[in-house]
Order: sequence, then C-alpha cells, then structure tokens
Amino acid sequence: MGLEEDDFVFHGTPIEREDEIASRKKKAVAGASGTLKTLPAWKQEVTDEEGRRRFHGAFTGGYSAGYYNTVGSKEGWAPQSFTSSRKNRAGARQQSISDFLDEDEKAEFEGQSLSASSQFDTFGFTAAEHSRKQAEKEQHERPSAIPGPVHDELIAPAPESIGVKLLLKMGWRRGHSIKDVRASSDARREARKAFLAFSADENTKESSDSQVLETEAETSLGPQFSEDIKFSETTPVYVLNPKQDLHGLGYDPFKHAPEFRENKRSRLSASKEAGYRKPLSMKESLFGPKSGKLAPGFGIGALEELDVEDEDVYAGYDFDQTYVIEDEQPPRPSHDNTLRLTSKEHNVLPGFGAASNSDYSVERFDPPKIPKDFVARHKFPGPREAETKPTASAPPDVPPPEDKSLKLLIDGFATFVSRCGKLYEDLSREKNESNQLFDFLRGGSGHDYYARRLWEEQQKRGDQSNIKLDVKVPPSVQKMTAETRGSLLGERPLQKSVKETETSASSGGSFQFPTNLSDTFTKSASSQEAADAVKPFKDDPAKQERFEQFLKEKYKGGLRTTDSNRFNSMSESARAQERLDFEAAAEAIEKGKAYKEVRRATERPIDFLAGGLQFTSGGTEQIKDTVVDMKTNKTYPKREEFQWRPASLLCKRFDLPDPFMGKPAAAPRARNKMDSLLFLPDTVKAASGSGALQGSDLQELKKEPEVEVEVENVERPVDLYKAIFSDDSEDDEEEQPMNGKTQDGQEKKNEAAATTLNRLIAGDFLESLGKELGFEVPSDAPYPEGTKPMEAENKPKAKSDASTERRLGLKEKSEEKTSSHKLVSEEEKNIQKREKSPRNRSGGNDLSSSESSGDERRRKRSKKDRHRKYDTESDSSSGHHNWDKHDSRSRRKRRESSREKRSSSHKKHSKHHKTKDSSSSRYSGDEERRESRREKRRRRD
Amino acid sequence: MSATATELPTKEANLLKGHEGAVLAARFNGDGNYALTCGKDRTIRLWNPHRGILIKTYKSHGREVRDVHVTSDNAKFCSCGGDRQVYYWDVSTGRVIRKLRGHDGEVNAVKFNDSSAVVVSAGFDRSLRVWDCRSHSVEPVQIIDTFLDTVMSVVLTKTEIIGGSVDGTVRTFDIRMGREMSDNLGQPVNCISISNDGNCVLAGCLDSTLRLLDRTTGELLQVYKGHISKSFKTDCCLTNSDAHVIGGSEDGMVYFWDLVDAKVVSKFRAHDLVVTSVSYHPKEDCMLTSSVDGTVRVWKK
Repeated sequence: MGLEEDDFVFHGTPIEREDEIASRKKKAVAGASGTLKTLPAWKQEVTDEEGRRRFHGAFTGGYSAGYYNTVGSKEGWAPQSFTSSRKNRAGARQQSISDFLDEDEKAEFEGQSLSASSQFDTFGFTAAEHSRKQAEKEQHERPSAIPGPVHDELIAPAPESIGVKLLLKMGWRRGHSIKDVRASSDARREARKAFLAFSADENTKESSDSQVLETEAETSLGPQFSEDIKFSETTPVYVLNPKQDLHGLGYDPFKHAPEFRENKRSRLSASKEAGYRKPLSMKESLFGPKSGKLAPGFGIGALEELDVEDEDVYAGYDFDQTYVIEDEQPPRPSHDNTLRLTSKEHNVLPGFGAASNSDYSVERFDPPKIPKDFVARHKFPGPREAETKPTASAPPDVPPPEDKSLKLLIDGFATFVSRCGKLYEDLSREKNESNQLFDFLRGGSGHDYYARRLWEEQQKRGDQSNIKLDVKVPPSVQKMTAETRGSLLGERPLQKSVKETETSASSGGSFQFPTNLSDTFTKSASSQEAADAVKPFKDDPAKQERFEQFLKEKYKGGLRTTDSNRFNSMSESARAQERLDFEAAAEAIEKGKAYKEVRRATERPIDFLAGGLQFTSGGTEQIKDTVVDMKTNKTYPKREEFQWRPASLLCKRFDLPDPFMGKPAAAPRARNKMDSLLFLPDTVKAASGSGALQGSDLQELKKEPEVEVEVENVERPVDLYKAIFSDDSEDDEEEQPMNGKTQDGQEKKNEAAATTLNRLIAGDFLESLGKELGFEVPSDAPYPEGTKPMEAENKPKAKSDASTERRLGLKEKSEEKTSSHKLVSEEEKNIQKREKSPRNRSGGNDLSSSESSGDERRRKRSKKDRHRKYDTESDSSSGHHNWDKHDSRSRRKRRESSREKRSSSHKKHSKHHKTKDSSSSRYSGDEERRESRREKRRRRD
Repeated sequence: MSATATELPTKEANLLKGHEGAVLAARFNGDGNYALTCGKDRTIRLWNPHRGILIKTYKSHGREVRDVHVTSDNAKFCSCGGDRQVYYWDVSTGRVIRKLRGHDGEVNAVKFNDSSAVVVSAGFDRSLRVWDCRSHSVEPVQIIDTFLDTVMSVVLTKTEIIGGSVDGTVRTFDIRMGREMSDNLGQPVNCISISNDGNCVLAGCLDSTLRLLDRTTGELLQVYKGHISKSFKTDCCLTNSDAHVIGGSEDGMVYFWDLVDAKVVSKFRAHDLVVTSVSYHPKEDCMLTSSVDGTVRVWKK
C-alpha cells in the first residue's frame, strides 16, 4: 500500500501514518523474534535472507517489484528479440536457466558445473575450455588490443591430452590425418596422375625446346602439389601455406575467381624455379563444360548458347597472357625460407649475419637426366604399320563380285581402309553389323575380293609412303595449323584445292586420329579416283607422284611450291626430260578427261549412297567442286554480267541517277527452284494466306493465268504497281463467280431474256470502267492493264487472242452475274443503278487516279459478287466455305435492314464499306488499299 | 630492287598494345592521323598510331568485332562482328547511334560510301546489305544476295559496290549502270582491295595467292605468291603509288611484291602469329598491321 504512494510526486513533507510505521516496526520485530507466524496469512510477507520483500501484489510490482512498476529490471521491458534489420531476423531464442537466475544465484550455480578433471581429459577439451575461461577473465581485468572475445585458435590447450599421447604412441604423427592412410594415398596418386597427364598434354603443345624447361618446372611443382593434398586435411592452412602476401587476414583475392588461383600459384612456383615467366594458358577452360576452344577471357552471355562461332579459331597460339592485376603484390617473395637460409646472399635479415657454414642443409636431388633422343610424346604403334606387315602374303586374286554396286562399295571401302587404317574397318564392321551390304567385312559374299582389294590398296599406299620416306619428310613435329585442326574436327576446309591439303596432311600424318576419318574419306575418294584416272606412270610410283605434283602446279599456275626441293636428287637434264614427258601426258589426259568427268559425276553418288557411309555433305560438295575446278581451271577468271537493279534510295544516297528510273523491275534471276519459289508473287502468297481456299478455288487459281495472262515482262508504268498489288483480293473474288458459273449453267439458259438485258448493262459497265481509268479503251478491250495478276510473270500460256478471251470471260461473268439474280432482279437493278451514279460522277472527274478508280471498280464488283454468292449458295449447297455462308447470312440480314432504309443511299454505302472491310481483312492486310478506299469514300461524301 | 625496298615501310615505328586477344582489323581514318582497331575482345580502340597512344575504347559489341570503318569526316564509324549486327557509332561520345540488325550470320566487313550516307556490310549469310545512315530507318536499303557463299570483304567506289566472296567471285555492282559483274576466280576470295587509280582490284585468295584483276575487262593481270593464306582472313592492299602489293601472311610475315613483275620485293616478320590485317596510310608511306598475337604495329620507312 505504502509503496504505491511512492509513485507520486509529493510536495511538502508527507505525514507518516502511524499505523504504517508501526506495522513495519512490528514486522521487523516479529521477523527477529519469530512471531511472524502469529500473523494472519494475509498479513505475512515473504522476504529473502536479506530482508527484501519477495512477493508483491499485482499493483505493487508483481513478482520482482524491486524495480517499481517495471518488469523486473531497471531498464524496464524491452522487446529483446526484436532486431530492426531485415536481414538479421530474430531467431528463436533459446532460453536457459541462467536467464531466470540472479547474479548471486548464478555464482552459486556455477560452482556445481561438471567437467572432466585434467587427468581424464582425453582430447584436451576441458583444458582448452579452462584456458579460454582463464583468458576471458584476464581480458576482463586488463583490456587487450584486440577487442571482443579472444579467438579460440589463439589459445592452445596447455597440456598434452591423453588422447594425443595415445595416438602418438600408436604411430600417429602430428600434422597427419587419422584417416585410413591407403585411401588418402590413392586419392593422392589419382590426383597426381591427372596432373601429370594434363601437363604432358600441355607439353605437346609447346615447341620441343621449351619442353625441358617445362618439365623442370613440373618436377618442382609436383612435390608441392602432392604435399598440399597430403596435409590439407588436418593441418591448418596457415601452416601449409604461410601467408606471403599483404592482404588482410582471411582475405582471399580469388574468392570469386578461383580459376585464377591455380594460375597464380603455378606462376609463383615457376618464377621460383626457372626465374622466367611462362605464359600459362587457362587450363580450366579445358575442363569446362564443353571443353570448347573458347577464346581466353571472353565468355559469352548467360543467355546465349555456346555455338560454333564461339570457337576460337586462333586457339593453339598463346599470346601475351593477361594476368589479373592484384594490387599489393608483395615484392616477390621468390625464395622460400629454407632457400633464404642456404643461399649466401648479402641481403640477410636485418640484425642477422649470414652464417659462414650452415649445418642446415636440405638434401637436394637433381632432376633426372632426360635422354637426348627422348620425345615427350607418345607414339602410337600406327595402325598403318601394323597392317602393312601382313601384306607380305597377298591374298589370291579373285574376280570381282557380280553385283556392280557391291564391287563399287568394296573398292571404295578398301581405299578408305587402306588410308585410314584398320581401325576404320573395325569401326564400320561394328556399325554395320546388321547391314547386309557390309557382309563382306564379316566374311560374307565378296570378302575375298575385298581382301584382295585391300591388299592392293595397301600395296599402293606402301609404295607411296616409302617414297616419302626416301625423300626426307620434314619432321612431323609441326604446329597444328588451323587446317589440320579443322580436319581433326571434321570440318570442311574453306579451301577448294583439295589436292594440296591432301599432300600436306598425308605428309604430316605420322599419327592419325580416328576422328580424322571423315576428312580422309573425302580426300581419298576424290584423289584416289583421280589418281586412277590419271596414271600414266603407274610403273614408277615416284615418277607418278612427281607427275601429279606437276599437274597440280600446271593447273594452279604460278610459282612452284616449296616441295620442289624434293626433286633435287635428279639431274637438271633428267628433270627437263621428265617435264617434257609430263607435258605430253597431261595433254593426253586432258583429252580423255571430259568423258571421264561425266562418268565420275554420275557414278559417284551411287558409289556413296550404296556404301551407306556417313559422308559429310561438305565432302561430296567438295568433290563436285573439284570436278568443276578441273574443268574450268583454265578459264579463270571468268566474267559474267547480269542485270542488277539498285534500289532507288541507294542511288539517291550515292548521288547517282537511278538507271532504272520509271522502269519495271526485271524478273528476278531464277537460280534454282528454291529461289523461284521464294520469288512467288504476292498474290499467290496472299491468296494462300487467306487460308480459306478450297480445292476448287485452288484450281481456279491455276486456271486463272490461262485466262488473264498476257505476256511476260511488259513494261508497266510504275504507278500501276500499287494497283497490281492491291488487286489481289479482287482476283480471289473473281474466282467465286467462275465457281458459281458452272453450277448455274442451266439457270442461265432459262433466263435468256434477263441475259440479254444484263448483257447490255454489263457492256455499259465495262465501257464506263475504261473511261473511269482514263484509258483509251476500245470497246473490246475492257480490262485495264493494272488488273493483270502477278502470276503473269510465272508461267504465261500463249493464248491466241488473250484480250478477246478475257473480254468474253468477263462478259460471261457479267451475264452470269445478272442471270443468277433473277429472283431479286429488281433489287439488283436498283443496286446497279446506284452503282452507276457514283461511277459516272467519278468518271467525269479528271483527277481520279487509276488506282483509286480501280479500287472503286473492285468494290463494285465485289458487291455484285457477294450478291451472286449469296444466291448461288442458296441454290447449291456444295463447294462453299463456312465463312462464305456466314458472311452471306449476315449480309442477308444487313440487306433486309437496308431495304427498309433504301431512301438514304449514303447509309447503304457505308454499310457496304463496312462489309467490305470486314471481308477484306481476311486477305493480306493491304493498308494502302483500305486507305485509298477511305479516301474515295470521303470524296464521295 | 634495294632502292625500292627502302621506300617501303618496313621499320617498326610503334607498337600498339592493349587488345586482349586477337586483333582482327586495323584501319586508318580518312586522313591517316588516327587508327581504329578491333578484335576478339569485343572492343574497338581508337589510337594515334604515330604517337602510339590509345585514345578511346568502344565497348558494346556482344562478340568479336571483325571490321570497322570511319567516315571521311571522322565523326562516325561503323563496326561489325560476330553478333550479327552492324553498329553505327559516334566517335566522340562513344555511343552507339544505331544498331543495324538483319544479317543472319556474322558480319565480316563494313564500309561507308564516299559521302558516308550508307554503310555496306558483308555477311556470312551470303549477302551484302546496304544500310541507310541518313534516315532513321534500321531496315536495309538494299540486300544484295547473289553471292553463293560467305561474303568476306567489301569495297566501295563512288559508283560501285564490290564484294569478294568465298564462292570465288568478286562481284561488282555498278549502281550507275545497273549491272552486276561477277568475276569468278575459282578460289575463295578472302579480301579485296582496290588500286588507287581505281582500275584494278586486288583479291586475296585462299590458295595463298593474290590476284590482280583489271576491273574493266575482268582480266587476270598478275598473280602474287609466296605468302601463306589458307585458312585465316588475312588482308592485302596496295601502296599509295600502286607500285607495290602488300599482303599479310599466316606465319606472321608481311610481303611486298612489285606490282608489275610480281617479285617479292621485301618481306619481314611483322608479328609472331597470323597477320590479320594490313592497312596502308592514305597519303604517307606508313602501314598498320594487326595480328592474332594481340598487337598492332605501325610501320614506317
């Protein structure tokens, strides 16, 4: 009660109530004397041993009211788990008993915690704990330089733990893992193997003189590398890799670019050992997902796919490595501590003098001596040599099999195999297991013949290679050119001169990869055939080869190539003589070539297809190219001239007059079928684009050129172009009447009277059309030129009298038109009248362009067509489209409504416009057309 | 012969280093005071080659940049490359004014015409495309697609567009006459260059041969051999006096031939690796060579 009053601020001196003072006194007395028990329960108070009151009423502070009206602490209640930061969300706080203990209670509690005595502290945990606590305590007493809690790592357990002792006794040594030793060594060996294999790979790329240095660096790098693996499991990193840079503790410059770490490490070690920097290509890129030859340093975007074009054409060349610039690169800690001690350098540490004789000496071994003749590249026992041996026993000569194609296949196959090695044979045997064409590989029919052919080919090749050996083949250790690389990858070389690549590849082909196959196929296929065809010196292979060389040079023209030094062994006169021979032979061959070329061109595809082999398309093309090449080699350069039409804007930009000003476009040069397809006129596209054509309509489309075509390439005024293009819908619509015509044939007969009347009307209509277009139209040539469809260019059918034909057709149409309208003839007439009136108006208008008038005409006609459609449809249900039905239905409705309001022709017109618009939108959206229509309407209004 | 050799720019005057990766083209500007280079590192760099200073780097290309050309007034330049686009740049601000899309493949070469009104680009898609610089249209003014294979190189005269293609032809499109002249050389054409008198066109073919053609008749005037050009795009050009023919070689050499008798007048090692581009100063005897080794070298007498 009394405590409650303390909350208020009082002025003046409070008058102490006697009873309160009395009760407190009484309490104290009672507490002392133990008379408290005598008090009634509601008057008793609980105090701790220090006499503090423990329990309070809710209004006097609750449980711990030592802090008045606050929640048990001086600070009051604060939402302790709340953190304002978004990132550091408050976790669930683990409450422990200490949260509910007073200080004194905690102190009491602490004394009872359990811990192993140092005697039984197996792994030294307790000791570590203890020492940490000790350190913490010390830190509290005197503030240290490093704020915050002491790092665990800095405090090592004081005594040797019993576990460590035991382990040591069992043979464990510090710094090693407790893991199974064998497993780790296995891993180590694997890693080392991979590393070595990789470095060997690297080696092959380097030129041979740098190899020694490379391997040297290798050996120095190797141990360190393996050591890393060994120790990294237990020993802390800082022991293994002492900090040598000036980065902050724990800062890793390569954190986000780990690929550079290896780079730097090896650079360091390389400089440590050899003292010169070796440009290091990015090894990681080789291990990349595609192991593509990407240009170093340039990746592609995340959204892009790795493509052919991302391949680095220039790969294989190492250019100046661009290192990642690390600032604060320490001033080259190039030597180890050990080295520093042993080396008798002057610059020893300040305050130290170099020892005159150091008892500390590392046993060092010289790198193993590499034999002089050692080539750091594995030589495969070439498949070719392997199979040239068994050639000693020639298989018996067997007549070729009956089947011509099989013979061809075997011939070709034997050639390939002799070129590419046994490996290919095995491969294709595997591949064509089920293909009975290849039975001869498995001892089926034709096997003997195949064996014989193979032997022959090998013999042939053996001769050739022997010659090459005689003529001192330049050492095959040459850098991979883009060409050879391309051939390895199966690319088709850019070059057309196959023969040259052939020689270069075969001379440098001391090792052959299986991937080389496709390339060698094409080569052998072309060259072998050629060689067979042109072999006047078969008896003397060396001479034959020279002859081939000669031929090549002859047709290429120009300087001799570098391998002319091959013939140095011959005397001058002998060479001259031979040259004469060659000349004569070449001419003889030239004569026979034309025939052979034809033959080859025809038989080659069969040859390939029958073989069922997978040839790259490039290969066959190449062959064709060479054929063409040989034929026309002499005629190069060849000039051809074509017409070419520059765009008018281009002429403008070049400040030149347009040579084709006002002229129509020339027909596009049709180079092949594909192109002519591409150049299909717009009308066809539009028509097919409308998507609603049915078979009958398509037929009409085909028929149309016959009816309306005149001659190709008539010079049309440019302004008519638009008219032509905007006419496409009309063409389509005209088909409908034709369609209807056939169906309504008999009706027409019945309505002879109506026909005559309508014929008159139609004639009138056509005449006025001509007037309207401003053409000088004789009465029998009604169509303006602008209506010629584009198909005219495609395939004009020579018609005896196209114009009259057309006229007739049109008249018929109009007849048909009107005749079909017998039922609603009155209405029809009305419409026609209505049509006439604007026509006449515009006909008198001199300004009306052909385009707009054509447009108008079209509209009129389409209107009519629609009526007709509607009628024909009602008669015959067959051969019509859904949309037509729908349209006609809606149109009928419209007409019904319009019948009521016929008085206002304007309204009617606008209606028709609408319908026209809606229907025309199905066709290729021709903005121009619509625009002109709008314009027209405006004018009319 | 030695007298002629001394006229040639065979002494290295400057080494322009900065490209990270192969340099694919080096081109002088109209008056020869500056040079633009471009390369695999997707950048275009503007240099003062005579002082060896890098002035500016232009970055925007998404893939390697294969060719670059400056307008005669030095205000704009265009570039093209593996990203299938032609970029039209402002030199001073370094901004791309327009990206001209339309090629279906890599673009190998670009050129402005004399008045810098159009850019003509030659692409892997077997076409030459003419782009308008004056209007805001990004559609090509014209597409010339009569080539049968990749168009490697394009040259413009006042009235003609000349393109060299892998199909072995050099096609001349005469705008004034409305004619296309196709000279079939039978070998893939790598690079074409026009003589300063405008009468001849020099075509670098992939059979390691340069061929000189008479433009009016299409006659083969001379053949230059000795260098290696088989698989890379290497450039060729003529000296200002048209006395010599210059060609880069895939082994890093640069060759000088006498125009008339086709003798190798001089050859020297310009780079360690493939010489991708040679460009001759429009007035002086000075030459730029660029290489796959990432350097550009300036050569003077």
